[in-house]
Amino acid sequence: MEFFDLVTPLFLALIVGGTFVGVVFGAIPGMTATMAVAVCLPLTYSLGLENGLALLLGLYVGGISGGLVPAILLGIPGTPSSITTTFDGYPMSQKGEGEKALRIGICASFVGGIISLAALYLFAPALADFAIRFSYVEKFLIILFALTVMGALSNSMLLGIFSGFLGIFISLIGVYDISDGGNGEIRLVPPGTEYWLEGGFALLPVLIGLFGLAAILEEAERGVPEGHSADTVKLGKSSSFSFSVFRGQLVNLVRSSGIGTFVGILPGVGGSAASILAYSNAKTFSKKPESFGNGEPEGLMASEAGNNGLTGGALVPLLSLGIPGDSTTALLIGAFTLQGIQVGPLFIGNNPETWNAMIFAMVIANIAMFAMMYFAIRYFAMVVTVPKHVLFPIILMMCVIGAYTINYGIMFDVWTLLIFGLFGWLVVKLRLEVAPFIIGFILGPSAEVYFIKSLESFGDLTIFFTKSWIAMVLWVLIAGSVIGSVMLSRKRRTATEQPA
Amino acid sequence: MGDLTQVTIDFETSHLVFPTIIGIMLALLGLAILITRRHEIAHAGAHWRGVFDRMDKVRFLGTIGLTVLYFSLMVPVGNVWPNTGLGFLICSIPYVLLTGLLFMHDRRPRKTIPVVVTALVAPTLVWWLFTDLFFLTLP
Repeated sequence: MEFFDLVTPLFLALIVGGTFVGVVFGAIPGMTATMAVAVCLPLTYSLGLENGLALLLGLYVGGISGGLVPAILLGIPGTPSSITTTFDGYPMSQKGEGEKALRIGICASFVGGIISLAALYLFAPALADFAIRFSYVEKFLIILFALTVMGALSNSMLLGIFSGFLGIFISLIGVYDISDGGNGEIRLVPPGTEYWLEGGFALLPVLIGLFGLAAILEEAERGVPEGHSADTVKLGKSSSFSFSVFRGQLVNLVRSSGIGTFVGILPGVGGSAASILAYSNAKTFSKKPESFGNGEPEGLMASEAGNNGLTGGALVPLLSLGIPGDSTTALLIGAFTLQGIQVGPLFIGNNPETWNAMIFAMVIANIAMFAMMYFAIRYFAMVVTVPKHVLFPIILMMCVIGAYTINYGIMFDVWTLLIFGLFGWLVVKLRLEVAPFIIGFILGPSAEVYFIKSLESFGDLTIFFTKSWIAMVLWVLIAGSVIGSVMLSRKRRTATEQPA
Repeated sequence: MGDLTQVTIDFETSHLVFPTIIGIMLALLGLAILITRRHEIAHAGAHWRGVFDRMDKVRFLGTIGLTVLYFSLMVPVGNVWPNTGLGFLICSIPYVLLTGLLFMHDRRPRKTIPVVVTALVAPTLVWWLFTDLFFLTLP
């Protein structure tokens, strides 16, 4: 199928519609881009792969961008990636420059999105071409590396790695599939539950539970705080914004977008790390670092360019290695699974139309995000006042639909949604990490196949070290991430122990 | 040394190899967490008491209770009118209404109108969309 055959009015409408819904989700505190993708995933069943991806990518770009609205107007990050947007955006809003701050954020988001998209377009095929040469050994080590990087960048390395291994362990429940070269035997299934757990827990109910239901349970635990009234939304004068504010900010924008893209490429590291790193770098290199935190547009630009830089970056490992860059792209794996497509090194080469359609969808989503938010920001600002007691029940119902229809009507998948919704709530309380858990859960079955096949082929454990120079480089990277994390944790501990 | 690193995978028991390794890794990591965070773990009781003290129990437990009831009733109700998705529709309307009311803070009659309208419109729209347009199975 030719690329232009895919670009239909429906395709374009889904991108724009997805971006719109994504912005709305991102703009409501407590709702995230991940939740938007989780809730809308069932809608992609009947759309086909390219149209489904158009919707989901629009939701992704819109969801990440929408987080700036409450961050600036209320000082509450709409999504975790907007944390640093509150530092300078909210003070600007309090000074009566709300609309100016929003427009600065929107422009910076657009720049971040486009730069990361260019990185995706350039790097993903190159990385995929390189990864095609990987044997089972290197593939296994890549997964191990992904887990250690995630652990290293978690709040606690031990808890991060533990969460990743727990995800792998739970993914192994059920049959060791014959189609993967397994022996068809069942394992880790409690007696009496074989009927339900023979195939293990389905991926999408687990994802929807962890990112949809768990988020609502957290809100319920906090008493579902009422939405903000229209009086609390201070936009200020629309005339105060001018593009001249970006004069001399090219380096800041490019650097922040680059940081966001790089963080996105690292598996499992969320947008909050991207924006924090971009913001702290902007402060370090700024001529007026003392004004950061008091309504400095430079900080706001860095934060927004950084978190939108993540969008393209997170797709690089997904489309070239089959490893999700963040929790939202983990959900995109679900969309591919629904259509029977496996993402990995062969994906771009075997599906050039889908690849081009994805890039095109991301470009359109960024343009749509910019256009609708820039010109209709006064209306989007009112989204923060939408009452949660109206929205949350609908989201709960959509979660049920998503879980139930995934395997064409299995009620156990709906119960899986509840189990993992409660588990997602509990994970936060136990200070475990959701992102490493989910990446472990997604990659666990592949890790098993690669590990067992490597040993069956070579019969020696040393093969993991001696197979190729790539394997050795990967071990150096694994060791580097662990050592780096230990040193960082010691540094942090020393800093907190020192008297002020 | 060569013998020590050599491994033969028995096909009959190959399904247990990787889960065993991951289980051992989890046990070792769990032990390391236990040792490095022993003080925190020793005071876990206070942490959980704090969680439950701060919790809005009615809304949190009410959400779980309503959700369990919703999931439990959907299939039996759906079996009365098989292959129509009516189990979903009939159970979703009260579920959306009750969770909406549960999440509300100000329940004056006028304020509940949007919740009632949503409870009627949203499940009906979704039911129509999935059964008539997408031809997907609902309970």
